[in-house]
Amino acid sequence: MNTGVRIRNVLNHIEESFMATALAVMTLLTFTQVVLREFGTGWVWSLEATTYVFAWLVLIGMSYGVRTQSHIAVDIIARKMPPTARRTMGLAAIILCLLYCGFMFYGASIFVDRLIVLGNNARDIPLPRWLLIGIMPVAFALLAYRFIELGWAISKGKVKGLSAEHGTAAATNKTPNSDQS
Amino acid sequence: MSALFLVVILFIGLAMGVPVAISLGLASISTLLLFADQSLLSLAQRFFHTTQIYPLLAVPFFILAATFMTTGGVAKRMIDFANALVGHFRGGLAMAALLACAFFSAVSGSAPATVVAVGSVMIGGMIRSGYSERFAAGVICNAGTLGILIPPSIVMVIYGAVTETSIGNLFLAGMLPGAILTIAMMITIAVIARRQDLPRQPRMSLKETIHAGWEAFWGLILLVIILGGIYLGIFTPTEAAAVSAVYAFIVAVFVYKDIKLKDVPQVLTESAKITAMLMFIIANAYLFAFVLTTEQIPQIASEWIVGLGLPPWGFLIVVNILLLVFGNFMEPTSVVLILTPIIFPIATQMGIDPIHLGVIMVLNMQIGLVTPPVGLNLFVTASVAKMPMEDVIRAAIPWLMVLLSVLIIITYVPIVSLIVPSLLGVL
Repeated sequence: MNTGVRIRNVLNHIEESFMATALAVMTLLTFTQVVLREFGTGWVWSLEATTYVFAWLVLIGMSYGVRTQSHIAVDIIARKMPPTARRTMGLAAIILCLLYCGFMFYGASIFVDRLIVLGNNARDIPLPRWLLIGIMPVAFALLAYRFIELGWAISKGKVKGLSAEHGTAAATNKTPNSDQS
Repeated sequence: MSALFLVVILFIGLAMGVPVAISLGLASISTLLLFADQSLLSLAQRFFHTTQIYPLLAVPFFILAATFMTTGGVAKRMIDFANALVGHFRGGLAMAALLACAFFSAVSGSAPATVVAVGSVMIGGMIRSGYSERFAAGVICNAGTLGILIPPSIVMVIYGAVTETSIGNLFLAGMLPGAILTIAMMITIAVIARRQDLPRQPRMSLKETIHAGWEAFWGLILLVIILGGIYLGIFTPTEAAAVSAVYAFIVAVFVYKDIKLKDVPQVLTESAKITAMLMFIIANAYLFAFVLTTEQIPQIASEWIVGLGLPPWGFLIVVNILLLVFGNFMEPTSVVLILTPIIFPIATQMGIDPIHLGVIMVLNMQIGLVTPPVGLNLFVTASVAKMPMEDVIRAAIPWLMVLLSVLIIITYVPIVSLIVPSLLGVL
């Protein structure tokens, strides 16, 4: 196993653990809030913390979805095409995705830049907002990286399209197995 | 002009196989950059803001609860109970599959999750008992759509979040239509079973039935906890979802002991993946809805439709057709997000109850789930039944008649949707 592959495996692992932890934290925070309210108390920062953890989960999860090919896409036309045409269209689709990442990355960077200039803290959490939202450009950069990876696999003929065959991986709640596709 | 551009870009993206989320986002961004004075900064802000909308927090929690229930054998116990109740009728196994879907819908807010939970056991079971593959897949594929009609329902959460309608009331409103659809499908199965002489299961004794009911009890009680808690004001729908997730965890790990503690991280990762996938679509659909609003498309559409002088029932036909067409090409959450800003103001103006409209939208989305090309339930059934997509489509189509008939009843008899909330005095 070379270093590149090893770094990528570490990155994949961090991604998965982060998402699982984030979901657990969100759930427990919200649940605890219900319990505490029964005793007439509660944490003021709980709701805001939950929404930020949610934001991080979604943002990191976007690129995880590309890696596991779980984003829903319409492949009914692609599946009827000859392989070469299908590959070309797949690559064109990747370019559109990268365009999207570029726009969002740019928008998110200005957003974070403004927040750094403003320098204010979040409502209930004693942390600057730019730090909490700073994940956004990072996430879109990561998303672009995953699309480049996928585009490479398509051009090599290793993968046929942007979504898994039949798009099944998308919405199933199958017995969890961390697929390393 | 800008509206046309928006829709054309969207459909080009979709046709090319660009993920639905990015098709929506890219169409919105390019329209805004070309036609409106909006910056990418404001788009990024809006994207981020989606994750800060309180009712939407219910989405990950309901997904997590359903994943625990599926992996943790709750679904299997519900199937056993359903089988004990109706298995001895002619075509009993198919009826049990349908009833199990209805039971599971009461703990899961998603239709594909319901298909997986029940279908992975029941499709094979039906085929082994002498049912045709097509019949088995058709039943599961369509019965699975109950997942978004019978509360809890992720689609209702989204509709409630967009229109600021009470999610608790929407949940209550979905119960009777859910029961009616279940009964309608049950009758259909009974008729087909008689004609095709489908097999029966051996009748269970009362003792066995009670035992199966007790085994399934821990799962079935969840709906009571959710609705009761919301109704009594103990928690919000979002908190109810979190309570469900914790409850499902406890039941799966400590009561049924089907999931070991070390498997929990996998359940979390899987749920987080589905959450992120769905929220990515939702965030981009919000951008899309924002573009519609800045381009004043709801107003234009509203003036046009009001100008037609349609009576409310005529308007509802238009709504049904519009929802069915969009439902064919996109999954439910994005359709609700895109079309609600257009339909909702007109409907309110015509005196259609927001709760009633919500139920109509959900039923239309159910039909969208079983019609090609983007019927999520078709995809999931194909993978669970290991059947080619084309066969699943052919299997599902005859059942559309049942769904459409119930849709007509729900659309034109508002009381069906409104009676439960109004009897409970919340409407």
